[in-house]
Amino acid sequence: MNSLLLIILILLGGAILAYLSKRISPMLSSIVSFLAITSAALVFFFLANDQEIVKISLGDFVLEWGLNAYSWIFGAMVMVMATLASLFSIFYMKGKDRLGYFNLNFDLSVMAMMGILFSLDWVSFFIFWEIMTWSSFLIIVYNGISEGKIGIKYMIFSAIGGYAMLLALVVTRSQIHSFLITDLIHSFAGFSGNMQALLGLLFLTAFGVKSAVMPLHVWAPRAYADSPMSYTAIFSGLLSKMGIFGFGIMLIAVFSHSVDGTIFVYREVLAWLAAITSVIATFYAVIQTDAKRLLAYSSIAQLGYIVMGLAIGTKLAVMAALFLAIMHAIYKGTLFMVVGAVERQTGITDMTRLGALIRKMPWTFFAALLSIIALAGIPPLGGFVGKWMLYESLITSDHYFLIILAFLSSTAAFLYSFRFLFGIFLGQEEKEFENVKEVPFTMVLPMLIGSLLLVVFGTFPGLLFKPLASAMSFLGMGDVSWNMSMLSNGWGDHVDTLDVINSVVIIFVLVAIFLGLKNRKRTRYVSTKDIHTSGEIPTENENLTYAVDFYKPFERAIAPVMKRKMDFYYNKFGEGLETFFDFLRRVYTGNGQTYAFYVIVFLVILIVFSQQIFF
Amino acid sequence: MVISPVHYIAVPLLAAFLMPLLAKIHRELTRIVPGLVILYLGYVSVVLMNQVMAHGTIVEVIAGWNAPWGINLVYSPFTGFLASMMTAMAFVIWLYSYRFKKVDSQPALKYFILFMMLVTGTIGIVLTGDIFNFFVFLEITAISSYSLTAFYRDRDGAEAAFKYLLIGSFASAFILIAILLLYTQVGTLNMAQIAVRMHDVPTHMKITILILFLVGLGIEAEMFPLNGWAPDAYSQAPSPVGVTFAALVVKAGVYGLIRIIFTLFDVHGAYEYLIVMGAITLVMAELAAIRQKSLKRMLAYSSIGQMGVVMIAFGIGTNEAVFGAIFLMFNHAVIKGLLFMSGSYLVYNTPNKEIQYLSGYGMKMPLISLFFSLGALAIVGLPPFAGFWSKLYILIAAADNQMIGLIALILGVSIVEIVYYFRVVGRLYFGKPSKGSIMQKPTYGGVIAMSLLAIVILVVGFYPDVITPYIHNAADALLDKAQYIHSVLPNADLSQIQNLK
Repeated sequence: MNSLLLIILILLGGAILAYLSKRISPMLSSIVSFLAITSAALVFFFLANDQEIVKISLGDFVLEWGLNAYSWIFGAMVMVMATLASLFSIFYMKGKDRLGYFNLNFDLSVMAMMGILFSLDWVSFFIFWEIMTWSSFLIIVYNGISEGKIGIKYMIFSAIGGYAMLLALVVTRSQIHSFLITDLIHSFAGFSGNMQALLGLLFLTAFGVKSAVMPLHVWAPRAYADSPMSYTAIFSGLLSKMGIFGFGIMLIAVFSHSVDGTIFVYREVLAWLAAITSVIATFYAVIQTDAKRLLAYSSIAQLGYIVMGLAIGTKLAVMAALFLAIMHAIYKGTLFMVVGAVERQTGITDMTRLGALIRKMPWTFFAALLSIIALAGIPPLGGFVGKWMLYESLITSDHYFLIILAFLSSTAAFLYSFRFLFGIFLGQEEKEFENVKEVPFTMVLPMLIGSLLLVVFGTFPGLLFKPLASAMSFLGMGDVSWNMSMLSNGWGDHVDTLDVINSVVIIFVLVAIFLGLKNRKRTRYVSTKDIHTSGEIPTENENLTYAVDFYKPFERAIAPVMKRKMDFYYNKFGEGLETFFDFLRRVYTGNGQTYAFYVIVFLVILIVFSQQIFF
Repeated sequence: MVISPVHYIAVPLLAAFLMPLLAKIHRELTRIVPGLVILYLGYVSVVLMNQVMAHGTIVEVIAGWNAPWGINLVYSPFTGFLASMMTAMAFVIWLYSYRFKKVDSQPALKYFILFMMLVTGTIGIVLTGDIFNFFVFLEITAISSYSLTAFYRDRDGAEAAFKYLLIGSFASAFILIAILLLYTQVGTLNMAQIAVRMHDVPTHMKITILILFLVGLGIEAEMFPLNGWAPDAYSQAPSPVGVTFAALVVKAGVYGLIRIIFTLFDVHGAYEYLIVMGAITLVMAELAAIRQKSLKRMLAYSSIGQMGVVMIAFGIGTNEAVFGAIFLMFNHAVIKGLLFMSGSYLVYNTPNKEIQYLSGYGMKMPLISLFFSLGALAIVGLPPFAGFWSKLYILIAAADNQMIGLIALILGVSIVEIVYYFRVVGRLYFGKPSKGSIMQKPTYGGVIAMSLLAIVILVVGFYPDVITPYIHNAADALLDKAQYIHSVLPNADLSQIQNLK
């Protein structure tokens, strides 16, 4: 059997089985879901290859699926992270309601993502895109309808995106009489300027919604934060990457065949929007007190970087963007799992109340630490490499203002990165959390694997550069030079990441040895209160660290920027529309005489204007 | 006995007349007999559709009078498809209403007699080849619909039925006048012969007759602004009747409109008229739907909106568009049927059938809620459910005719549709359950009926090819005017006939 079809069928079957097996035992449902995703992943890594083509004839359409270097990268990312998240999910979701429903939609989302990646034609692309949308909607509302109506908001924005794509693809078909993505790529240059502008705008809108680019981002923070964390790990890490996947096709493959001015404008505008998105979202992330929200805003900010890289569109920028996309999937997936683990053990995610979990949950802390290092872009982990390349590509392509924004947001990102670690794991021990234990092994394992991946890819980015380079040459970027551990830059010199890694490792080892030698005999475990400041011994209730108003001065500084919320205007707009609809609705008065009157008036109008209407 | 299209009309009509007698033999017979009748019609449909797919249109001459003198029934791939669809839906509705209200046999007898009449009327409208006969069936349909709307004999039902009656009598009057005028011009009532002779009718007269038809049938097809009666009728009638309206009555109305425009007349402007009025109907209905508090009214407005899309697609008039339109008619019958059926159980005991009381019903009525959610996903056209394909076909057809603004309009309105359907779905599953609400346990027949519809939605969604060949033939048959005339009047002069698009 064709392995691509097999992957889709395994996931679909897994979804249905998971739904049904809930009747036997809720735990079984999660295990079935995990097994389905794992076996799909095995098929993907060991059987799938780019020679296979699936052709399914449905109605008057031929759905074509295949695999190429570009989609393989994303597919590998989806399969790995989805496997980790579903493994995490088994214990995370234990004891919760409606597990069958949850796992059904979880598997359907994964299936839809793989389907999107396999699609060679727009019809199957759209079908899977919409399946992804509604299955994720059903999970967002899983935790109950929140006061912010977030489910509906997500659905509206997704519908705007989805329908923009639908419009674009039927228009494309009317032009080239084909739904194949490659046909669009090759014939795009032949379209008229208006058509290029229209299609470009529609496709960018469609993908912009999923990758949460301003001003289409308002659904994202709450949607990420309100879903169950094991799902958010793939929601923020992977579903948003489908938008990136689409951006890649449009910005690299399709637009590169056009030399028209509008497309250039689109690129610049998109890069700016993405940069502003990342700055504003970072600011919001800094002032959050809830760990989930913090990560949600951070996701939006990181997606901003990635989109910016793709929009700039030089080889280095695209490489950086794709590299960051993969890194982001890993570290943000891991971090959401971390928050999930903390939530499961303590019941809260409020950073002003949490603290000092480092001793209770050391493995979780370890995973969080590595992911945060990667997120903040500190060497030696993966985030650093991506950031380095992105900055360099911004400089070499003369986007000096953008680089200011990028620096601003990545510097501000240190603030929330630190706060995340501090707020949850460091600080003063609280009575409340005395009995908190580390999460079960099946929850620790995926987090550790995620961190391990970060270390590996940070040390040997070349492992990723090789497939990325072939992906980019598939998209028509020509050959991209890469080296296992070498980052070349525009000025002709090289940075060897191995040197960086080695230096860091050596420093760490030296410090460790030094500390080990120094404290060899006097090792003594202390509690947080076991200190004395100026001779005063702190009492049990005294606060030594603070978690509330963590970044007060910073908040004050950015207050003017935060005043205007996009969300506010959308809500106002929505309310206005509803009022208008209500006004229109009154045409239906409920009065029989009025209706009879309408009939007569309509007849008279038709007769009077019959010349104009029917000739 | 030879199977022929006339059974569609004769058998249910006969059953309707015999049922009072049968009821005297055994009370349960009043419920069983309609089912048997419809099952038989289903058998007729299968046999005839096979014949039609193999050999082309069947023309049934009644009482030995050949066309154009006698009345004939035309069973083409198009009319046959609609008749079979209506039969199938009638069967599902019968299953659903078998024990809908556990009351004594008297209301059941009335209900099923009227239901049989309604089936006769709507299928008759579709099959007849005679314009006056068309009017007669329209009246049968209308009168049984009025009575069924007022079935509960409460104040609201009576009011809704009265409104329906008031507007419906306008429709009857206009159509009758149109037929009279037409007869003075062409001297025949046979639809094929009218089509042949239409060329010679003076233009202003032609337009006047057309306008009368358009307004009269527009009322039946729920076109804005003639559809004021519809939301009341849908929401006040007993639930199975609401389904009947969506699946049978409005389909017959749309069929009439399409037959008049596509076959009888040759006025180009009528197509643009359909597009414009369809678009207005769509927008007004969907915008009204979003503000409704009552679930059934919301469904009613949504139903009107879908008819707007059907009209738009017919108005575009290319083969692809007509295909999409017929597909959407089918989908709408199935999906809206499922929505009405499950929706009525959801609001069975809530005050004023309001949506706000539905919070948390997903836990209490899991199966019904699942059906409703499936219907909601399908009707807004999300893949991989049935509604997606018809939408895709219609949009492709529109794009091929460079109607980008129209596509944007349809899609824009779809967003509104998503909002109000997903509000309900979200509330069903994730609202805080309200206390003290009493659930209504669905009947077995109801569950089977809804399961059948759900299966159709899934099967067509995953594999549309089960239905598309029939729809392709139906679209070809509708567009091929010369073929229609030729099959009814083999000797007619076809030189004046041009297939419009």
